[in-house]
Amino acid sequence: MQSFFQTLVSGLSFGAVYALIALGFSLVYRTMGLVNFAHGAVLMIGAYVASTFYLSARLPFAVAVPAAMVVTAVIGLVIERILRPLENKDFDLMLIGTIGAGTVLEAVAIIIWSSSGRGVSSPVQTAPLAVGGVSIPGYNILVIVVTAVAMVVLTLFLQRTKHGAAMQAVAMDHEAATAAGIHVGRSNAIAFAIGAALAALAGALIGPMLYVSPTMGDSLGIDGFAAAILGGFGSVPGAIAGGLGIGIISAFAAQQFQGYSDMVTFVVFTVLVMIRPTGIFGEKTVNRA
Amino acid sequence: MSRRSLCRFGLAPALAVAVVALAVAACSAPGASSTAGSGATGSGTASGPIKIAVVDAQSGSDSDLGQFEWRGVSLAVNQANAAGGIGGRKIDLTLYDDQGDPTVGVELAKKIASAGDIAMFGTAESAVTLAMAPILESEQIPNITSGQSTALVKLNSPYLFLNGPTGLTYDSTLATYLVKTKHYTKIAMLTNNDSYGAGEESAFSSSLKSLGLAPVAAKVVPADQTNMTPELTAIHGSNPQVLFIGAEEAQSGLIVKQARALGMTAVIAEGAPAGTPLYMSTAGTANADGTIVSSPYLGNGASAAAAKFAAAYTTAYGSAPELHGAKAYDGAEIMIAALKACNGCTGLALASAIRAVHYDGLLGDFSYDSSGVGIFATAIGIITDGKIVPVS
Amino acid sequence: MVLAVVAWLLPYQLNIYWMSVADTALLFALLAVGMGLVMGVAGQVNLAQVAFFGAGAYVTAILTTHDGYGFWTAAALAVGATVAMGVVVGTPALRIQSHYLGIVTLGLAVAFTDWITNAPITNGDSGISGIPTPPLFGINLTSNYLYYYLELAVLAAGLAFGLFIVRTPLGRRMRAMRDDPLAAGAVGVEIRRLRMIAFVLASIYGGAAGVLYAGLIHYIAPETFSVADMFLLLAMVIIGGRQSLAGCVIGAVALTVVQQELVNLSAYAQLGYGLVVVAVVVFAPTGLVGIPSRALALYRRRRGRGPVAALEPFRPFPAGPEAAGGVMLDVSHLTMRFRGLVALNDVSLAVRSGEILGVVGPNGSGKTTLFNVVSGLYRPSGGRITLDGRVISGARAHRISRLGVARTFQNLRLFTTLTATDNVLVSLDRTRTWWSWRYLLWPAGVWRHDRALKRRAAALLAQFGLAQFSAALPGSLPYGIQRRLEIARAVASSPRLLLLDEPAAGLNGDERSQLAAIVRSIRDSGVTVVLIEHNMGLVMSLCERIIVLDSGAVIAEGAPADVARHPAVLEAYLGTSPVPAPSEPEARQKTEAP
Repeated sequence: MQSFFQTLVSGLSFGAVYALIALGFSLVYRTMGLVNFAHGAVLMIGAYVASTFYLSARLPFAVAVPAAMVVTAVIGLVIERILRPLENKDFDLMLIGTIGAGTVLEAVAIIIWSSSGRGVSSPVQTAPLAVGGVSIPGYNILVIVVTAVAMVVLTLFLQRTKHGAAMQAVAMDHEAATAAGIHVGRSNAIAFAIGAALAALAGALIGPMLYVSPTMGDSLGIDGFAAAILGGFGSVPGAIAGGLGIGIISAFAAQQFQGYSDMVTFVVFTVLVMIRPTGIFGEKTVNRA
Repeated sequence: MSRRSLCRFGLAPALAVAVVALAVAACSAPGASSTAGSGATGSGTASGPIKIAVVDAQSGSDSDLGQFEWRGVSLAVNQANAAGGIGGRKIDLTLYDDQGDPTVGVELAKKIASAGDIAMFGTAESAVTLAMAPILESEQIPNITSGQSTALVKLNSPYLFLNGPTGLTYDSTLATYLVKTKHYTKIAMLTNNDSYGAGEESAFSSSLKSLGLAPVAAKVVPADQTNMTPELTAIHGSNPQVLFIGAEEAQSGLIVKQARALGMTAVIAEGAPAGTPLYMSTAGTANADGTIVSSPYLGNGASAAAAKFAAAYTTAYGSAPELHGAKAYDGAEIMIAALKACNGCTGLALASAIRAVHYDGLLGDFSYDSSGVGIFATAIGIITDGKIVPVS
Repeated sequence: MVLAVVAWLLPYQLNIYWMSVADTALLFALLAVGMGLVMGVAGQVNLAQVAFFGAGAYVTAILTTHDGYGFWTAAALAVGATVAMGVVVGTPALRIQSHYLGIVTLGLAVAFTDWITNAPITNGDSGISGIPTPPLFGINLTSNYLYYYLELAVLAAGLAFGLFIVRTPLGRRMRAMRDDPLAAGAVGVEIRRLRMIAFVLASIYGGAAGVLYAGLIHYIAPETFSVADMFLLLAMVIIGGRQSLAGCVIGAVALTVVQQELVNLSAYAQLGYGLVVVAVVVFAPTGLVGIPSRALALYRRRRGRGPVAALEPFRPFPAGPEAAGGVMLDVSHLTMRFRGLVALNDVSLAVRSGEILGVVGPNGSGKTTLFNVVSGLYRPSGGRITLDGRVISGARAHRISRLGVARTFQNLRLFTTLTATDNVLVSLDRTRTWWSWRYLLWPAGVWRHDRALKRRAAALLAQFGLAQFSAALPGSLPYGIQRRLEIARAVASSPRLLLLDEPAAGLNGDERSQLAAIVRSIRDSGVTVVLIEHNMGLVMSLCERIIVLDSGAVIAEGAPADVARHPAVLEAYLGTSPVPAPSEPEARQKTEAP
């Protein structure tokens, strides 16, 4: 029983990070109809930049992370600008463009930081909390808190600010949004930048829990996307539900199926996508089927 | 489209040309004149530099090992060249990146054969070495490898030599120490699923079995997984006294770090990877302390020769060496000794010369048997305050 | 053909290392052709191609080393197993497309890599060694030089077969499906079967490449079939030009050589090909192969046009049999709801055989929605439609097309990368997808069928006066001519019922009277026509009967003169109060959103 709760705690901590990744995907998908295959690579860059600021420049973790988010947001703006000519025209080409962008980012990371990767010491040095035989590292609690705060901030942005409303309008009907005077390109750029910053936050947070390497974004990106689909694109509660869901599923799958856990998660996910592409909470905002 | 119909009509004459060309070609197959590799020539007729290849992962997740090996070999070769080389001829090293991918390795085997390299150092991954071995054998290029898998030994290739003990040696020594000397009874295993981890899993579990013990838990994780908490949670449930890890340096460090975060107090036991600075830095010095290491190279202070080697290495590269660098250094020294003994020979003659070398190296006394293993024992140490201390 | 000779004599020039590189390049070329067929020609995102490669290699390896099968037997079984895998991977494509399909196929590829790394029978990460060399009439294929010829033969056959498919009905349908699945369905293309065929083709090429790979290197390991290699293959296909099979081959060979040259600088190589992929995607989507024709087109445009192609007069169709006069299409209590919005509200109408029926109404009244339901793009929320007594409501678009219903679209849906002739050819071809078995067993029959279709297409285009535009792409044609081409395409399917959605939109007076003549001639040849139009003059002169829709309901029906005086119609169009009634923009129910 203790093992069950321990696995649950682990699944929830990672689930919070998956929720952040899912939200980043979701934001870009809603506004641009684009699944950003470079999302995982952006996450990886965020993890590297944050850990570089934290380890080499010895900045406090609380400063290193927002700094990484800013840097990564700029990268997101650059990618969006380059791919803008394809927006709303040819989705397959745009998909491939993001794959190319992801490949470039990974190569850049290898060139700058080498391919061997680095461990990041946990910024929370206290002993893990022991609750009824279940060990909860202090850092995991920090991750959950930060994720919750980020979700709240994002929801407020989308619902209360002009830019947020503009992004929602573009998501619903980009032609009507243009007619209403919204600069769609700029709105998309903001969406992409925020998505990238969220990915960076996820990467920076997950660094101390895992290991920072140039290929870390591959499986995290796919897990994040699975979470976004599971919960349904286009809503913050959906991202949370999907993220926690995938976190828990993969934690238990890893225990049961060990080496095959990725495969199991995938097959489950494929079946879900086919049965219900709109996810648990989903709304069909952009239909590309 | 008229171009299309032209293509259709053009097929017939093209086929005719092709048939004629085939007839002409059948008389002499291409490449017939250069089937034998350049390493085939027996005696050291050439003057000029002796070309040796170093093949290792310089990219990808195993690139650390590749770099250690390159540095160890380079140090030995540079020292030898400074002292006059092989009868006046310098050794020329060329580095090739196999990216940790066996099929890239296979291509590289052909590349080094056609480039005129007469011997090879590497690789640090048994899977890549295994893939390259048949080609190196047919091209008669002797290879000293850092790999330790028993599959290498089973090949029985006269051209393949290991620069350290086999995985079975590491693990049986460790198992014997844990069970016979320390009397542990509850031992759990966590290994990964790449060729190193799979080899460790089978070697350690068979060693335990021959001592009459079965592991209380045994889990396998994917080699690229960075979150081992689910598997560790399951292992934690069976309350082991010892956790044996079969994974590379970084993943092993992560396993230890995450195990301690879960509240596991089991002693960590491992083979070669635990004896490296990367393991200690990834695990964190506090967590790495107390790890039982089975390794033929227990640290740069273990002997006078080791200290001398470490000083030279640090001067050359700015960081202290560890096991893989030491192994590579020993392997290179053996190759140099063989080359000196046979005066720069190549092919089967060089392989025989390597086998005839008796070398007292950093890892111990080397004397190769017919299957390519030259050293048959490791030592046990415990990590204390960030250094490996031999157990008395 | 010079290329063939060069390719034949190449091994004589190469040393053992470059020979091995050439062998690898040819394998990737074969893999790339398969990828080009499924992604470039059929438009299906397939990120599992390297998994097919791996499946072919692994099954061959396991059957020969583990179970002792002979190489060629194992090879045949391996390709069969890969095809089974292709069916599994292709199944999601029946329901989802584009990005979702990309993620799902990528996920299946990752699952495959996971399996081969963990399953005991594959020897995990250590791989399988000792795979035997394929025996071939006593030729020693352990030599890379001679193996090259085996690969060259397979590649040549594969490329020829691929080109054969692309240039004949099956390929044309795939390209139509890629350009516009909706319009393709409306002209009778069985979309789902075609998608599955595309994946099966890709898996055959992948499996064959895998088999040859196993026999070449004699050793396989999971690393070769990783996601990183999938992206490299994707780069090869994109950079070379995914819609051209020759481009795929060129991309594969070029990138293999570059990768080998930069083997010690693999991160820089990756950076390079990543940047080139982004550049190609944004600036030259047709790839390297497409650059010469784009440059040529740019040059031609700069220099000014050559002789301008002209529209020839329409030749009326021969008169058909006298219409029976009964009810052909019966719409009964049809309702169509979109998430709360009622687009069609209990609509009932009947179309009599041999008439020209007009459907009019203010914007947003549901006219195009009516067409979309009748032609099978939407499934009705309630009610029933029968065609000559046979229920068609709820049937798929391609099935309704085969029953003799053809249509044009309000916003013009021509296949943009197909020539005018090709557009018509897709519609002319009335064979079912399963007819395609002839591709494998009787290609001569396919060839003959294609020639016959081309003759008929030329005749039809000439009839419509479009003969001089037969090789033009729709995008280069003036608007009026595109409209006429769309009608020609619809008529090509020999329909009994033709639905024209605002065919006169954007036409000038001259073009409109030509249109009227065309429509009358079509009707006289025995086709019933239903016409949505806003141009009242055209409607009054052309249609014998008119139905008026407003807000999704039928408000009037009858002869043009009577309907024009109907008070409800006047109110709907002109209103009785000073403030005009707000109308929902019809743009909300785009035909583009199924």
